[in-house]
Amino acid sequence: MIRLLRAEWRKVTTVKLGWGMLLGAMAIAALFVVVQIASNGAARSVALPLTAASTQRSIAATASSAYLFSVVVGIILITTEFRHFTSRPTFLIEPRRGLVIIAKIVVAALVGVIYGIACAVVTAAIMIPWFAAKGITIGWIDNGVLQSLIGDIIVIAIFAVVGIGVGVLIRNQIAAVIGTLIYLFLIEPLVNIVPVVQNAYPYLPGAAAAAITGSTRGLGSSQLDALEGGLVLLAWGLLFAAGGWIFTIRRDIP
Amino acid sequence: MSAAPPGVDGRIVATGLTKVFGEVKAVDGLTFTVEPGSVTGFLGPNGAGKTTTLRMILGLAAPTSGVGTISGVPYAQLPAPGRTVGAVLEATSFHPGRSARNHLRVFCAAAGLPDRRADEVLEVVGLTQQARYAVRGFSLGMRQRLGLATALLGNPRVLLLDEPANGLDPEGIVWLRSLLRHFADVDGRTVLISSHVLSEVEQTVDRVVIIARGRLIYEGKLADLEGASAGVVVRTPTPDQLATALAPLHVKVTPRADGSVAVAGSTPQAVGRAAWEAHVELHELRAGSSNLEETFLRLTADPAAPPSAGA
Repeated sequence: MIRLLRAEWRKVTTVKLGWGMLLGAMAIAALFVVVQIASNGAARSVALPLTAASTQRSIAATASSAYLFSVVVGIILITTEFRHFTSRPTFLIEPRRGLVIIAKIVVAALVGVIYGIACAVVTAAIMIPWFAAKGITIGWIDNGVLQSLIGDIIVIAIFAVVGIGVGVLIRNQIAAVIGTLIYLFLIEPLVNIVPVVQNAYPYLPGAAAAAITGSTRGLGSSQLDALEGGLVLLAWGLLFAAGGWIFTIRRDIP
Repeated sequence: MSAAPPGVDGRIVATGLTKVFGEVKAVDGLTFTVEPGSVTGFLGPNGAGKTTTLRMILGLAAPTSGVGTISGVPYAQLPAPGRTVGAVLEATSFHPGRSARNHLRVFCAAAGLPDRRADEVLEVVGLTQQARYAVRGFSLGMRQRLGLATALLGNPRVLLLDEPANGLDPEGIVWLRSLLRHFADVDGRTVLISSHVLSEVEQTVDRVVIIARGRLIYEGKLADLEGASAGVVVRTPTPDQLATALAPLHVKVTPRADGSVAVAGSTPQAVGRAAWEAHVELHELRAGSSNLEETFLRLTADPAAPPSAGA
């Protein structure tokens, strides 16, 4: 298993994509944090002042948006194998396909954790001096800011694992990435506003992610608390990982 | 055809291998044996089912029915497949952005081999200078060499190479030939190389397994295939009398465009004797030039062609 983890880790570090996407994730986290802080108190802003606990939490939680990058990285880590046929030497050297997928999931989770930490650090690095300059105290514990940052890391890491599962199910790289983005940006928000299925919304991956970080993403639905959201998102991660594992064992390698 | 016991170390045995994709039988009841210590050519036109057969033997694709074994067991049950079998399949299997050296080091890690193996095999295939370049810029010939390097990482007992000569320059083909001959003759390894062009591997292989439309056409020594193909060319002013004279030999007589006659499945000696005994006047009698490629095309083009001698 150690062999396979080393091999999968090398696959990530020896191409540029992982580094580029890391920069992208950090940039999006930085952008969202800056926009939120800068726009606070603007003429038509509905947000509570920066001193409010919910505002501080919400700013800390925006870094979780970087899960868009970690889910795409997860998808690409696995679909690249099928696209460039590196799946062949991979499964020739280790025919126990389940082990390969487990190694990939572990490495994807690790990559996700690194992305998450980087985004959380970026968020804190922007918040601390900016709030200090405004003379506002950050309530790390009292206002749940730290919990939101840890939530960011968990969300980003789990989405990387979800990406592996999606990529195994949909081996076509472009289709998998576009399908996932359409789901997250279009289908899930639609579920939230269609009355019949609205009650299912909090249990969908995006909503569960919002619950973990303590930001409120949708209106009109009952939100889960952070722990419930964490369990729901973990269940999604495990579901996709298990699906990926079963599919890889049963299907032919191209 | 061949009922060789599968348990011999390094022997590849396919028994009734069949793969059905939807309605299409890509591989249809394929049975053959590949022996250690020889270079075997796995031949067939494009789409004959060569790659699918190799994928089944290598455990990448599940056979619809039948079994493929290496050293007596299915691929997935080999104790250390990465160190027992080295294989390259048709499409080049590299991430374009990864350097040759890093590509090999990924698989060193996976197979539990020391990283220096990467540099060793790069040396063997002559890619040391290009080791640190991304595969993106590699020519087809360089990719073939890198593929071979990947297969050689674990110093395997058995080599399966899909179209290894494809894209190599003439010098590269000579190099590949001597390398593969060395593996088989000196090391006693099993070498199976596929190709859709017989002439490409003609001088490299001892034995051939020829398939077409997923079925076995011929299995045996290349030399026997060549003998079977050589016909006799005869020129006579009385072709009808010659045909009557040759009737007892049960050979196929066909007129050729230049007015001569081709006699398939016989020798100049037998034809000359029959003509002499029947007092048929001959103006020319010679062995037809044995064109292996022609034989190959004929065998693989005609679904009704019977397996030739030597199998």
